[in-house]
Amino acid sequence: MQDLLYFIQQLINGLTIGSTYALIAIGYTMVYGIIGMINFAHGEIYMIGAYTALIAITGLAALGIAWLPLVLIVALICAMIVSSSMGWAVERVAYRPVRGKHRLIPLISAIGMSIFLQNYVHLAQGSRNIGFPALIEGGFRFGAEDSFQTSITYMQITIFATTLVCMTILSLFISRSRIGRACRAVSQDLGMANLLGIDTNRIISATFVIGAALAAVAGLLLGMYYGSIDPLFGFIAGLKAFTAAVLGGIGSIPGAMLGGLILGVAESMTSGYLSGEYKDVVSFGLLILILLFKPTGLLGKPEVEKI
Amino acid sequence: MSTPVKKLVTAIGTSIAVMGAGHAAAEIKIGIAGPMTGPVAQYGDMQFSGARMAIEQINAAGGVMGEQLVAVEQDDVCDPKQAVTVANNMVNEGVRFVVGHLCSSSTQPASDIYEDEGILMVTPASTSPEITERGYELIFRTIGLDSMQGPVAANYLISQEPERVAVIHDKQQYGEGIATAVRDTLEEGGVEVAMFEGITAGAKDFSSLVTKLRQADVDYVYYGGYHPELGLILRQARQAELDTIFMGPEGVGNKDINTIAGEAAEGLLVTLPPSFDEKEENQELVQAFEDKGEDPSGPFVLTSYTAVQLIADGIEAANSTDPFDVAEALREGNFQTPIGTVEYDSKGDMESFEFVVYEWHSDGSKTPVN
Repeated sequence: MQDLLYFIQQLINGLTIGSTYALIAIGYTMVYGIIGMINFAHGEIYMIGAYTALIAITGLAALGIAWLPLVLIVALICAMIVSSSMGWAVERVAYRPVRGKHRLIPLISAIGMSIFLQNYVHLAQGSRNIGFPALIEGGFRFGAEDSFQTSITYMQITIFATTLVCMTILSLFISRSRIGRACRAVSQDLGMANLLGIDTNRIISATFVIGAALAAVAGLLLGMYYGSIDPLFGFIAGLKAFTAAVLGGIGSIPGAMLGGLILGVAESMTSGYLSGEYKDVVSFGLLILILLFKPTGLLGKPEVEKI
Repeated sequence: MSTPVKKLVTAIGTSIAVMGAGHAAAEIKIGIAGPMTGPVAQYGDMQFSGARMAIEQINAAGGVMGEQLVAVEQDDVCDPKQAVTVANNMVNEGVRFVVGHLCSSSTQPASDIYEDEGILMVTPASTSPEITERGYELIFRTIGLDSMQGPVAANYLISQEPERVAVIHDKQQYGEGIATAVRDTLEEGGVEVAMFEGITAGAKDFSSLVTKLRQADVDYVYYGGYHPELGLILRQARQAELDTIFMGPEGVGNKDINTIAGEAAEGLLVTLPPSFDEKEENQELVQAFEDKGEDPSGPFVLTSYTAVQLIADGIEAANSTDPFDVAEALREGNFQTPIGTVEYDSKGDMESFEFVVYEWHSDGSKTPVN
């Protein structure tokens, strides 16, 4: 019984982290799906989302506003607006001018953008870890009083629920809306979509904006869950989310969700049953394995060479 | 390039070189190397503030052997790779005396370069024993060793008669070194070390670790490392209602842990150098820091001040600015400093250095435990 409770606890921990990886991974996978590029500045967009949310929360606290739902919604909206504009700006500055050039060029400009954003936040916000207030506290516990109890906190429930809502909205948006349909058309064939009268520039901007908005949601959630943020924390999170995207099959949205969850659970099981030291070994080991044996990822479609 | 322009350029070049050389003769460069940015920049602030104050005061009192001290400050971000670059920059700048580095993992590779290039280094903060175990002539410190600090922590824990203790570290030279010292002393004292495990520095998610600690049912958790990670572990532990007492080395004892952990920092045990700023004979110096609006209470402020002062005293005692002569003078003499009387053994470690167990509070203050 004890062991089962322990297993469930590690599973909950893993799914929590995994669902936020999934939120960030969407940004990678959508951009890749549409223009076949990896947006390496995406981790920084997520980090900026977390900083914006913190600034908004601090600002509201200074104004004496403490009603939790209002604080969260205002912080979320501010973070999404700032991150989305960043995502849009990154595309305009670092991708559009070099689109259609050799594949390495946008890759390098993306890395440049990532370094620029990191250092910008270093300068503007300082390089220290900043504490993030825990707004949602408390939780449920299961199990006998005097032995190991499985606990699920309200914060973890919030993370699951928010991720679920975001993913549902995104899936509906992609499958039902006009822009969603255009997105799918552009990802199938950019040139043809252009000929058929789709404003592809607008669609590409839209994918950057959507990815950035979801990253901002993850930034706010993880800031509250972990408890501190610093200008470098987007880098590792970005790398993990990228791994999740590749694991699930880059370019596929359900794949990103699945990849995120698998990665999160694999990490927490590794630290739970082996040792925390091997956490990153396992996550990047998984990446190598998947690239070796199924390069298209779990749900990815094989790339057909178009003639 | 036409000939007259070429001549002009050469002339300017030569005059700059001459000016540079003339300038260097009238002053002694003191390199200060530590983290100005990055996750442990707080400690860097302490180091730079203490060293700058010493340089200022020594210069105001007429300098060393009639020459003024000039600070050459470099940022190593507490990154071993950057520390090597910084050490090479110091060589290029013609620095012959360095106060630094701060993190043991930075000091280790940088000290190789200093020793090779004949530069005398005094670290005000690196406690890893390995640094002075390589038979180097020019490497000194103004702080104790993990092999002194670890047993102080472990012996305190043993005196509390716990059944089981977990020891966690950040896999870095400093954190793992001190965690190992604590584990060994605990085991010698008959305490069961239920868990000995590393985490990744810079990680944010410790939910799995906290779950594991809850299951291990330990009385104390010792953490070897720095405050950004321990702050998060504390906070995530309290959220999961794990109310074990945590303990850490001086790397976790600064006010920034409170901004991360908040209330969860209450009751944390920390081994620190004794509060030199509370000593009677240092009050004048403390006042000087306060007049500048700086806080002298951090663990490395006065050790850094002392590092500069020792270099100056060593130069005076040797009556030479040759780092080898100064090193010899430091090994032979004994020096009155704000951290007490300093005497060196042949390795470059202080003959004695005391660590004290403090209880940390959520408002950033601390009270001695013993």
